[in-house]
Amino acid sequence: MRIIQMQDVRKQYSGNYVLQGINLSFDKGTIIGYIGPNGAGKSTTIKILTGIISDFEGSVNLLDMDVRKDPVAIKQRIGYIPEQAALYDVLTPMEYLRFVGKLYQLEETIIEKKSMELLRLFELADKSSMRMNGFSKGMKQKVLLISGLIHNPEIIFLDEPLSGLDANAVILVKEILAQLKQAGKTIFYSSHIMDVVEKISDRIIIINKGEVIADGTFESLKANAHLGSLENIFTALTGDEQHGSTAGQFVDILKS
Amino acid sequence: MDKWLLKLVSLFNPVFKKQGIDVSRMYAIVETKLMMDKRRVYMHWKQKQQDENRNHLAIILGVYSLFGIFTGIMIMIVPSIVLSMALVHGYIIFMMAMTLITDFSSVLLDTTDNQVILPRPINSKTLFMARLVHIMVYLLQFTVALSVGPLICTFIKYGVLTGIVFCFTTALSVLLAVFLTYLLYLLILRFSNEEKVKDIITYFQIFMTIFFVVGYQVIPRMNIISDIGNNFQIHAYYYLLPPFWMALTLEAVHDLHFDAIHLLMIVLAILVPLLFFWILTRFLAPSFAKKLSALNTDGVQTKKTVSGEKQSKGISTVLSALACNTATERSAFEIVWKITGREKSFRLQFYPSLAYIVVFIFIFVFKTGNNVADTWNSLPGGNGFLWFIYLPMFAVSSSIMIVAFNENYQASWIYHSLPIAKPGQLISGSIKSLFVKYFLPIYLFCFIFCLKVWGWQITDDFLFGLLNNAICFLSFALVAEYYLPFSRQPNTQQQTGRIVIVILQLILVSIFVGLHYLLVKRGLILYILLPFITAGCWLLVNKLRNIPWKKIAV
Repeated sequence: MRIIQMQDVRKQYSGNYVLQGINLSFDKGTIIGYIGPNGAGKSTTIKILTGIISDFEGSVNLLDMDVRKDPVAIKQRIGYIPEQAALYDVLTPMEYLRFVGKLYQLEETIIEKKSMELLRLFELADKSSMRMNGFSKGMKQKVLLISGLIHNPEIIFLDEPLSGLDANAVILVKEILAQLKQAGKTIFYSSHIMDVVEKISDRIIIINKGEVIADGTFESLKANAHLGSLENIFTALTGDEQHGSTAGQFVDILKS
Repeated sequence: MDKWLLKLVSLFNPVFKKQGIDVSRMYAIVETKLMMDKRRVYMHWKQKQQDENRNHLAIILGVYSLFGIFTGIMIMIVPSIVLSMALVHGYIIFMMAMTLITDFSSVLLDTTDNQVILPRPINSKTLFMARLVHIMVYLLQFTVALSVGPLICTFIKYGVLTGIVFCFTTALSVLLAVFLTYLLYLLILRFSNEEKVKDIITYFQIFMTIFFVVGYQVIPRMNIISDIGNNFQIHAYYYLLPPFWMALTLEAVHDLHFDAIHLLMIVLAILVPLLFFWILTRFLAPSFAKKLSALNTDGVQTKKTVSGEKQSKGISTVLSALACNTATERSAFEIVWKITGREKSFRLQFYPSLAYIVVFIFIFVFKTGNNVADTWNSLPGGNGFLWFIYLPMFAVSSSIMIVAFNENYQASWIYHSLPIAKPGQLISGSIKSLFVKYFLPIYLFCFIFCLKVWGWQITDDFLFGLLNNAICFLSFALVAEYYLPFSRQPNTQQQTGRIVIVILQLILVSIFVGLHYLLVKRGLILYILLPFITAGCWLLVNKLRNIPWKKIAV
């Protein structure tokens, strides 16, 4: 079953196209790794899929609904965890989750119960009534993860979800994603961390300069490119193979 | 008060529902936003330590109520209803617009909503109405605080009917203030970017602080109210000013006098704010929301002009080479020069203190009760230029303490990781930079002003005063705690030695003023003393330069 469909999606800023005709569709219950260099159009794609950006060309359907026509119904069934830990940090985690839960129209008792249990799993239960402006980036990221998943969404969009998390939390999130997939959730995962994408994704899409330049499983990409790791495939496909010589020049300048 | 006001808003729930607004989600947003308002750091308190558990909003509302009492007293004193009401309504419009710009701008321009609320299942009508209700509740709290004093006085002096109408004219004035503020933001956003808007807001905040400082000190010394109260006449152009629409409406109601002019004013007072509000909700606010949501999603980066960067680099590099001996000192000079020019928090804290120069000069030179023209004419005969020589130091010296604070205080690790044997050179470089950048231009301005009034004979006094001021500035730095520039977390406890500095300021500057007063017009002695004072400056700079790591506060 096609749960996400994008047809000829284009997006421009001041005449400059950052997405140049994206055609993609995804099945239910898959983990999609979406990677690309800075400025490739990853975040713009996610913002279009989540209904945050509505002025784009082409069409986008999620859960058999048009993202422009039914944004509220779609947003009720999807979850989004943005790249930056953007939350109201003068609130406590409980206050913030209560607020988000109300926007998803969850019952207050359910919000309280779920929030407390999820905070406990992320070892934040003892900080549930402390204001988040004193929290580390990783702690805020954990609250952000909970807020994006508290309503048990069918599709989950994650934009660099592991940034700032400690090693244990990274392992935990990876395991959560794997188990969410088993529960039938679709996960759209954008990241720079190649080895995580390589390990957890059923399908990997590489985007560069607003265009999809590779699409397939890790094995198929590896077979086509005759390269061993996703990092090497990424480097070869995005055309930036100068890392070795750039590093050499860097060291030479330091020595001079 | 917000809960009470929200109950008032809930009376409109059927209307909201009819408009397709999701009421429960709207209240979830408004209640959360109001909770956040109570915890925000307010501009008037920025320089002081804020206890995060206190309701800062309640304190500010208390202060506004106090201002309201003063305007109420003004209503009682001023004989003309038109003048007093025009002043009150003008004051309310000004205060509301300024409050919106200085304290509420962070809420209006907060793009966190784009990340937090936009991905949630909220329709655009609900989000728009939530924002509007939030702003209205916030403003109503300030309106009640500002107008309760004048309202009581209006009831007492002009009766119940005028008092009731006053409630409406106040509400209409607030609508005008909201409209003007939105218009201002849209204009700025139309021709500029988010960063520029924040810059402009910083200058508004500085203006607001100066307004309070100057107003508090100067206005009570002037007999403006009684003067204009006695000689007040209505000119035709007054009819263009909204406060006069409100004032003449109140006069019409009070005197039950409804001639053509008064009727026209009543129509203007009611229709214009309502029309503006309709334009605001129909066109301006949605367009503003669109512009705001574009700020975060279009990924536009702010670019500073290259010419500006180059120029700044040039000046600070040239001056650091002239003023400093070592590379460490030069680096500190340049970094302090650049960061103080770019940091909003520094400008916000320091620039208002410069307003004290104007206040002090006004207080000391133009003494209370004297006619300004007479004082001006008698200036050249006296030694008033001494105030111009020594007063700037009182204002500029605060920069020594302010420069230690910075939002990015953690970046000061760099000092500790570098092979710097004498961290005192970082402090001496910083002090020199502040002196050259802030004291010298003000001093030069005072010198040019005094040249015009007193003539060339004051040149040697200004030269002598310059070195005395340098001694004062260096002494203040020496008795303060030794913090490296931009290394302290904002809102931490003020320095324990602050009172020592204030006392030292008074003693030292008084000694120099006294000494200078005795030596006025004795040019030869001044020139004989110059080498000794120069040597004193050199000794003090050396003392600063040699401050060791163990004396550096962290």
